[in-house]
Amino acid sequence: MQQNKPLISVSNLQVSMGGKPLLSNVSFDLSEGEMLCIVGESGAGKSTLVKALQGMMPGHCDRFTYAPSSTEVCGAIPAGLGLAQARWVMQDPLAALNPRQPLGRSIAESLHKENLPKDQLRKRVLSALDDVELTADFYDRLPSQVSLGQAQRACLARALIAQPKLIFFDEPLSALDALVQKKIAQRMESLRRATTTTYIAVTHDLGFAAAYADKVLLLRDGTVSAYQSRTAFFANPQSDYAKDLVAAAQSLGALPEAAA
Amino acid sequence: MSLSQSISISDSHPADPLRQFTKRVGVATLVLLGLWSLALWLTPYEPAAADFLNRLAPPSAAHWAGTDHLGRDIATRLLYGAGWSLGLSLAISLTGFVVGTVVGILAARSGPAGDFAVMRVTDSFFAFPELIAAVTFAGLFGPSTSNLVIALMVVSWMKFARLARALTLSLGESDYITQARLNGLSSRLILWRHLLPNILPSLLVLWTNSWSRTILSVSGLSFLGFGVQPPSAEWGAMLLDGKAYMQTAPHIMIFPGLAVLLAVMVINLTGDRLRDLMAGKT
Repeated sequence: MQQNKPLISVSNLQVSMGGKPLLSNVSFDLSEGEMLCIVGESGAGKSTLVKALQGMMPGHCDRFTYAPSSTEVCGAIPAGLGLAQARWVMQDPLAALNPRQPLGRSIAESLHKENLPKDQLRKRVLSALDDVELTADFYDRLPSQVSLGQAQRACLARALIAQPKLIFFDEPLSALDALVQKKIAQRMESLRRATTTTYIAVTHDLGFAAAYADKVLLLRDGTVSAYQSRTAFFANPQSDYAKDLVAAAQSLGALPEAAA
Repeated sequence: MSLSQSISISDSHPADPLRQFTKRVGVATLVLLGLWSLALWLTPYEPAAADFLNRLAPPSAAHWAGTDHLGRDIATRLLYGAGWSLGLSLAISLTGFVVGTVVGILAARSGPAGDFAVMRVTDSFFAFPELIAAVTFAGLFGPSTSNLVIALMVVSWMKFARLARALTLSLGESDYITQARLNGLSSRLILWRHLLPNILPSLLVLWTNSWSRTILSVSGLSFLGFGVQPPSAEWGAMLLDGKAYMQTAPHIMIFPGLAVLLAVMVINLTGDRLRDLMAGKT
């Protein structure tokens, strides 16, 4: 992974809303194919970070670079809707899919800007469904006609079909059963290896971070409490808060042996 | 990981109940319309043809629902009256539905100031109870069918505007519309693909309610003499015709009354079922 090209780099990100600071002094950088897990309790600013990076909340940086769109700014992150070649998989798949639109059409919307002819678009959608191990007959199903896990796979397919350089995951597994969690996590992982897509995943689940992350960013009250490689984070946490957190996860048996 | 182990493939998935129900209601409506036109065509009587030898006749084989004080066939008049009672109220409630939905969506999408202005105008229309509005209108411009329709239309749209606005605002924040925006869909496309299909079911439930209430308003106002005027066979006007003979020939009032009851009940129950189906889905 080390020889891969840098993809995104953020230094000293500040986000505030109505004069109240939501995030301060957040810095990290990622190369292609790396996975960053953002952990922290509710209200720590995890989702704010994801939104700010996509320009959906006003944020300021000392330096912000994003390779796919050759963005390099000092100051405000360009406001707008989303980063180029990035997609966002949300927490609740049933909220993220139009309940009155078949899955295939929701997935196809991810390629809206490419203006593909219909048959080609359908072919791409079917292959994306195949990538997440859904059969072709899911194309015409409504979200109410599939299980939660299948709906989240469809959301994953919607992100993957665009062949993005970066995918944001906002608690992608927390709405799912343990067994489905495991399957989808493994699928996410193998697809990341196959496509060298960079993942930024917000999660509560330290076990998930311990299993898949390259880097861990721990947020607390809008500031970085720890930013380390996975192995360093779990072996030798940077802050007392991180230590407590890892110890607590270990005592609950939430971490795999290798990380403990 | 192989395909077969990761998912269990079921050949049949439950069909979308909402779509099924809409289809069934559509078929039932067509059948009813067909029967109605057939009956209009088959009936040997004219709705306004008086037969003074046959006044106030009780129901018989020749006159299924009897005749009224002028000897007119009540069953035939009920059939023609359906056009007035159901048709007028359908037109009124549909106007309210369309106007209110457009106003509500526009309010929700026109920013805080526009939203405020539009909704305060809507509130001010709420200040006029529809019956009072219709009576006032009839008092000012004279009692007639067109004045009744205009008056009821003017006060028919506000509930739709409120609901459409609330739904549009809440759905605008929804995850799937955020995704559509991130994917670069235009506002118009989002409106057609994501917003309307998801707010229409709720508005349809409100519309069935509005239609049945409007039937009562039209019949009620006609009964009071403010609406459809005799000799037109509106159900409420027929009730008015029969009022003087309530003791001697109650069938003159019973059948129009039953017609109103039945129509309102069918429409309301359809709306209830639609609402239940939606609640089951969310």
